[in-house]
This record gives sequence, C-alpha cells and structure tokens, in this order.
Amino acid sequence: MSLSRFLGKSVLYLAAFSAVFPMVWTAINAFKNRVDIVTPTPLFIFTPTLDNFAYVLGRDSVAAGLVNSVIAAGGSVLIGALLGLPAAYAIARYPNRWSADIQFFVLSLRFLPPVAVAIPLMVIWLDLGFYDTRLSLIVTYTLLTLATVIWLGVPAFARVPKEVEEAARVDGYGPYAVFFLIALPIASRSLIGAVAFAFVLVWNEFLIALMLTTSDAKTLPIVASELTQLGRDVPWGILNASVVLLSIPPLLLIGILSGLLNNAFRRKSN
Amino acid sequence: MTSRTRLPAVFLAPPLLILAVLAFVPTAYAIYISFRNRELSRPDGSFVGLANYIDLFSDRRFVNAIGVSLTWELVTVTLTLLVAIVLGILMFEFASARQRAVLTLIFLVPVILPRVSAAFVWKFAFHPLYGIVTYPYKAITGQPLDLLSNPATALMTVALVDVWQWGLFFGVIVLKLLETLPPQPFEAARLDHARPWEVYLYVALPMLKAPLISLTFIKMIESLRAFDLIYVMTRGGPGIVTETLDMYAFSQGFIESGRISYASSMAVLMMVATTVIFTVIWKRVKP
Repeated sequence: MSLSRFLGKSVLYLAAFSAVFPMVWTAINAFKNRVDIVTPTPLFIFTPTLDNFAYVLGRDSVAAGLVNSVIAAGGSVLIGALLGLPAAYAIARYPNRWSADIQFFVLSLRFLPPVAVAIPLMVIWLDLGFYDTRLSLIVTYTLLTLATVIWLGVPAFARVPKEVEEAARVDGYGPYAVFFLIALPIASRSLIGAVAFAFVLVWNEFLIALMLTTSDAKTLPIVASELTQLGRDVPWGILNASVVLLSIPPLLLIGILSGLLNNAFRRKSN
Repeated sequence: MTSRTRLPAVFLAPPLLILAVLAFVPTAYAIYISFRNRELSRPDGSFVGLANYIDLFSDRRFVNAIGVSLTWELVTVTLTLLVAIVLGILMFEFASARQRAVLTLIFLVPVILPRVSAAFVWKFAFHPLYGIVTYPYKAITGQPLDLLSNPATALMTVALVDVWQWGLFFGVIVLKLLETLPPQPFEAARLDHARPWEVYLYVALPMLKAPLISLTFIKMIESLRAFDLIYVMTRGGPGIVTETLDMYAFSQGFIESGRISYASSMAVLMMVATTVIFTVIWKRVKP
C-alpha cells in the first residue's frame, strides 16, 4: 500500500515539476548572456544580466506590439462584456422558446476553424480598407469575446438565488434595476472570471492576428514569434525575455481563473 | 417572471445581431470566393465554379494534410484524456485538500500560457545542442538528438506540448468531478474487497461517463486549434509531415502563392466537416 502511495505521489510531483519547470527555465535563460545559454551543458549558476529585458523593452516593434495587444484585447473584451453580460442574464432569467437554439448557436461559433474565419475576413478587411488596423482586430476579436462571455455568463447568472431577485421585485425594483443592482453584484465573482478568461483567449490569440496584420497592428504574440524565427545568430536571451513578457499577463490572472473553476464545481455538488 | 418586460429583447438583440453578422458574413464570403480564382496579388478574379474543389482532391498535399490532421486529433485527444484521468485519480487518492489546491493552481499554468510561448519554451527545450530535455541524451550518447527535424518524431513531439497544456488542466477537472461523486458506492465497493483500481475503473469512471464524454468533445474542438504550436515549432516540416489542414490552408492563401480562393475552398470544406460532425456529436451527447 505504501509503495503505491509513494509511486502515485511521485507521478504527481513529476507532473507538477513538468508544469512549472519549462517556464522557470525560460525565465532563468532570460537573465543570461548569450554565452551562458549556448553552452554544451545547461548552466544553473551564472552572472545574471538585465540586458535582454532592456533590449526587448527598448525595441520599437515590441513596444508597438504591446500597445496593439492591450488595445485589441482590451477593446474587444470591453465590448464583449458590455453586450455579453446582459445577453447572458436574459438567457438565464427569461427563458423562451429560442433559448436552447441561441445557446447552441453561441457554442457552435467555437466549431468554426479559425483559419476558415481568418481567410475571408482578411479579404473583407482588405476590400474595406481596414486591413492591418486595430479596429479590424477589435471587431474580429469581439466574435470571440462576446461568445465566450455569454457562454460562461449564463451559468453564473443561473446560480444567483431566484428568491433574492424576487424579493427585490417585491420591494419595487424594475427588471433593469434587478439586473444592475442585484444580479450583477451577486454574480460578480464568476463574471469577473468569465471576462478574465475572454481576455486571456484574445491576448494569446495568434492565427487571426497573423493573417489580419502585417506591420501597423501586429500584436505581441506575432512580434514574439517573429523573433523566434530569426536567422543563424539567434539571440536566445532576447527570445526568452520576450516570451516571458508575453506570458506575464495571463499568469497574473491565474488566481481569478482557478476561482472560476472552483465556483463552477462547488455549486454543482450541492 | 411575472411582469411583462422588454428586457430580453433589449438585452439580446444587439449582441446576437453582432454575432450573427460577424459569423455569417465571413462564412458566406468564404463560400463566395471559393467559387472564384482570386489571388492576393490581383484584387479581382472570375467565376470558376467548382474548379477549386475538384483540384483539391487531386492535390497530394491536401490529402496528406487531412491525414496529419486526423492523426493529430486522435493522438492529442486520446493522450490528453488518458493523462487527465490518471492525474485526476492520483490526486483524488493521494493528495490532501491543501495539496489539491496547490496542484490545481500549478496544473493550470501550461494551459494559460500563450500557445506561442508554450511552443517556444518547448522548441528551445528540444533544441539539439542547447536544449535541456535533449541534454541527458546528448551527455550519454555524445550524439545530438533532433526530435523536431526527424520526420518520424516531429508530429509526436509537437503533440506532446499540446498534451502537456491540456492533459494537466483536464486532470484538475477530473479531480473536481470525482469530488462531486457521493461516497457510498466507493465504500460499498471497498467492503466487497475491490482493489482501488477496480473501484475507479468499474465504479467511479462509469459514473462520470457523461462529463467525460463532454470533456472529449471539448478537446476535439480545441485540438483543431493546433496552428500556433505547429507554426512556431516546425512550420509544417520537416517536409510536410506536420502540415495540418489549417497550416496548409494558411500557406496556400498567405505565404507561398497567395491563392486565396484555393485556400477558401479548403476552409469551406473544413467548416462544413467540423460543423456537421460536431453538431451531430453535440446533439447525441446532450439529451
């Protein structure tokens, strides 16, 4: 019995190690000079340097990519939340004959292969003269954020106790007041998780940004991937630094996202 | 709800209209240009009927891409679920409440990373000369190990990164699902002297059949989004052994020849296939 316990725990620790170590190693390499990376044996002890981060943050392309990413992700998440949360509430609280179809339609948007959306959109934005602009990215990403916020928002609103809303109604609250003053605050924890998830989804998005931008509106993942395709004298330290930079925002949201996961399952078990 | 209100219409109409426009316009446009011979270098083009579709089926690279995509789906979905079930059960069996909380957080890290980051992190780890994963092999044999340039191992190596991202995350979900089960069947099985693995195989997993099928379904959809990993790690190479359908459509429409119409016809076929297959599965899974 104790042997299987030992083996089981070992597998778990190994998996945990594999989950964290690659990113930690990347972060370590981001503080190395090139000579300390290009070694026959991996180095754990070296003189750290901030040159890589200084170089990455000082590059115009990275700065522009960062601004584009913040605007594209921020704008589309804002629109997705402003329009998606009320829609999710309406689906959760005012079921009608089309509710199931609406939910299926929103889910089915996820079936579309991204490349199948990106190719025609590239032509459409070219024809309209909006190719390679932040506007076209925000509009395209709204498809992702809106669908995600609705999809995750419906169960969050459904978990708000109906009695609370009915009590408010008895106290003379109108339907809109019930939404803004009662349902929204009570469901806010799960809703923040849903919005954070939508943000991570578009912040990480690659294929659509790759096809819809060439220079002006390039987002950070595109800039980072271009750095990884550089020629022979690969600046490994700079690469590692840019990957670390790209990964920081999603990792900062990990607490909120695991909260969303816990909420979803805790209520279900009761 | 008692009082009549126009709230549902006010709240639902604008977002649904936007979603419909954003989803249907590109879809319709993809179908439209797939019947033409438009290229990136020429804004116009003429109607060519089904020519693009007919060409596809004599295109060996397209047939190859179908095979690669199907292999990718099969391998990543199967391995992800296998890893998830094993990790979920191990956590449920051996980890205390606090350890579970810590592991949950840790196992979320890979899936939250941008795929470009995950792809680069592992591409560098697999680097034949400086990679940390390939280092032990190099130290023992004296030979560099180049998994991503070897046609026999390239696809599996990229698939490993996908399973790393999703298997650990789904392991957490399997744990949460196990935690929702009532304890009585477990105790009954133990009283019957069932071994632990028998309890899981014959009692717990059958009780979780429906959510596990949903997880499989979700992973099947997510596995379609392999592009970022493959683009950064191998660009479809060596040769075309890791060229999935989206990778091939991208290279036809964008890098190599700018044959937008040809790429669109591929996109349309993918769209039809996935929508039909997933709708059928979804309607079956969801009673």
